[in-house]
Parts: sequence; structure tokens; C-alpha cells
Amino acid sequence: MTRLGTRLYLALDASAVAVAALGEGLGGRRARAFARVPLDPGALVPSPSGPSLARGDEVRGAVRRALEGQGGGRVTLVLPDGLARIALFDLPRGAEPRDYVRFRLAASLPWPASEAIVDSLPAAHGRVVGAAVRRATVAEYEEVAAAVGLEVERVHLAPLLALEGLVRSGVRDAVHALLGDVALCLATFHGGALVALRNRRRDRSSGEASRLQEELARAASSAGNGSGPARVFVSGADATRLRREVGGTLAERGLEGPGEWDDAVEATWLGGLLS
Amino acid sequence: MSRQPDFSTVPRPSRVPAFENVALVASVVALVLAGGATWRARDEARAARTRVDDLRREVAAVSTRVRALDARNRSGMPGLSAVDAEPARIVADVAAVLPGDARLERLSIDYAHGALELRVVARDASAWDRLLQRLERAPQFREIEPGPEVRDGEVRSVVRARWVGGAR
Repeated sequence: MTRLGTRLYLALDASAVAVAALGEGLGGRRARAFARVPLDPGALVPSPSGPSLARGDEVRGAVRRALEGQGGGRVTLVLPDGLARIALFDLPRGAEPRDYVRFRLAASLPWPASEAIVDSLPAAHGRVVGAAVRRATVAEYEEVAAAVGLEVERVHLAPLLALEGLVRSGVRDAVHALLGDVALCLATFHGGALVALRNRRRDRSSGEASRLQEELARAASSAGNGSGPARVFVSGADATRLRREVGGTLAERGLEGPGEWDDAVEATWLGGLLS
Repeated sequence: MSRQPDFSTVPRPSRVPAFENVALVASVVALVLAGGATWRARDEARAARTRVDDLRREVAAVSTRVRALDARNRSGMPGLSAVDAEPARIVADVAAVLPGDARLERLSIDYAHGALELRVVARDASAWDRLLQRLERAPQFREIEPGPEVRDGEVRSVVRARWVGGAR
């Protein structure tokens, strides 16, 4: 069992499984423990409409190793970017956020809308970040947790956790690139509010850093709103490598996990929880 | 706490973290204790206000008397009248002038006029004379009026005087 006042998070992505124990008290959240176990390429392939667990045993083994010494019991499951359809919506007055997001996303889902689990994240100024994920996909990840004896208390999305942290911290004019292993979010903030959000799969072929740099430059120019380009931040999976590839000129360092653990730095979902 | 998104296939009711349960219970207990303490403090404050009002009234009365006595002193009048004096002080003044061979059987004090009536028994005539002598010399007493004497070995009589005090 985890310590009193501690919430356990289990995050899965293509490159690794991570477990974080966060103490939740009156002074806010604090990371008490973190463990990351790398996965061999191809063991877990986040897919929005098909199976993600190519080699389930490997993934379950990695989860067990990550959980060693962390206790068990209830856990919040953090799903990787690349599974859900995510978009920013202006919420009409009086509309129930989840119903409205379901209505708006239904037509664009690559699976029947009746199979979608939909929820939303308040983004201030009457906007919400809506997300829809296929029920069968969530179930596949929940089964991983159940197989190692965990009780899934809640299921969250890694990009939504990161965005929640940025929204909560009141980011001024800036563009944030939040990288997952297979997808990324480009979030544009203006006047402390999230004004644009783009979610797409990553193209990790050669030259990704340069392409991303150009994309960020366009977004920054647009976000500057005539007063020069906005600041640009990149964080998440491979952010350090991408930054190095373009000679450190890619962008500033963005949302990061706690510095006590070297391998937690690129966990933007954890950075979002702690911000 | 705002609702967190949940994409579970089987959503569970939001579990309030244990620390929040503890904090909630502690807050309720603290609230109840604070309420009780406030109630008690209010009662104590009311009692204290009553005591303060009483003391203020006493202080005002004493101040009035002090001012009156000061005025009397400045005008050359004796410092205290029988009205102002405590009985113990008059009795002490009487006792101070009683010779050892005379005893006081009864003392009446007319506070309105400062008049005293002493029923005295002296062991013999010389003791009686000494008593009258000491009464007349004492500055606290004026208008000494010895009453009829009954001499039967002892001398029994009544002495009237006026106590003026203020000589101390």
C-alpha cells in the first residue's frame, strides 16, 4: 500500500513505463518517488484505434519493475499522447462540457462515437480542452494495471495533465510544444489563456528537429499578435536530443519533471502535476 | 477542488484523498472547539464588563469623597467627620485614651453628629479622673461631658463627647 496522503501515478508510453508517487497535502503536490523502466522499441505502440500492446508481457514486466518499492493499491493511469483526439473548444453558455465535446468530436473520430470515452479540461475564458479516446483502447491499458495487482482509480491523458499544469500556472504569451513518444501538442497561450491547440503524430524521421523548429517559428510569429514572435518552449520526450540537433536554438526548456530524478526531466505529465 | 478528467471505462466516484478527510474532520473539530471557546469567552467578557462597571462606580464614589475631603482640608475643617470615619477608627481612638484601670462597657456612635456616648467603669476615682483627663487632652475628642457618677468602690458613669478625628 502507498503511504497516507500519497497518490500513485502509472504512465505508459512507447519508450518507457514510469511510476510516480506524489504526496498531496495542504502545501500542494510533492514528488516522493519516481521510477522509469525503458521499453524495447515496439513493445508498446500507442494507437488510437487499434491495439497498443504489441508485446504485453514485456510491458507488464516493466510495470512490475517500476512499481518495486512503490507499494501498490490504487493508481491513476496516465495514457500516452497519440491515443486520443484532442481539441480546444469555445464552450457555448450553459452547455455541459462533456456533452458539447462529444457532439463536436463525434464526426471526426476514427471509430464509432458510441465507443468513445469523452471528457474535458477547463482552460479558462470559457474554453475547454476536449478529448475522446476509444473505450477498447483504455480497457487495454487498464488490463495492464489490473494484471500487476493495481486498482485503477482514474484514467488521465499525459497531454491533458501537462496542459492542466500550464493553464494553472498562468502562462503568458508563449508557444509550448509538449512531446510524447508518438505525438505532440502545440499549445499557444496569449494573455494567460490557452488560445490555440494542435495535436498531431510525430514524424521522427531524420530532420524532425528542423521541421519542428520551423513549425514553432510559424506558431510563435502568429502568437506574437504583431508584437514580435512569442517565446517558444519545448519539453517532453526527446526534447533534449532535438534541442541538441539544431544546436540548442530550438527553443527554451519548458515543462519538466522534478530534477531529483534525471530520467524524470522529460515527463511533462509529471511536470504538469507538480506545477 | 475542481473535477479531474477521467477516461476510465468504469468511472468510480471521486475518492477524497485521506489527508483531505483528516483535514476536514480536523477543521470541523476545530470549528466546534472555537465555537465553544467563543461562547465561553463571550460570557467571561460580559462578567468582566460588569466587574469593570462596578469598579468604575466605586472609583467614582471614592474620587468624589477624596475631592470632598481635600476641599474640607483646604478650608481648615477637620479632616474626617464621624460620617466618613470607620467605626474601627473611632473605637481605636477611644481605646487609646482608656487607662488600664478603666474599661468601656458600651460605646454608642451618632454618625450624623459625631456624638459619642461611652459607658465606662473605672476601678476607682483616680482612674476615672485620669480617663477624663486623657479624653480632654486627646485632639480627636471635643465637648467632653461627664455624666452622673455612681461611686461604689468602682466608678460607673457615662461620658458624652464629640469625635472630630483628623489629628493623625
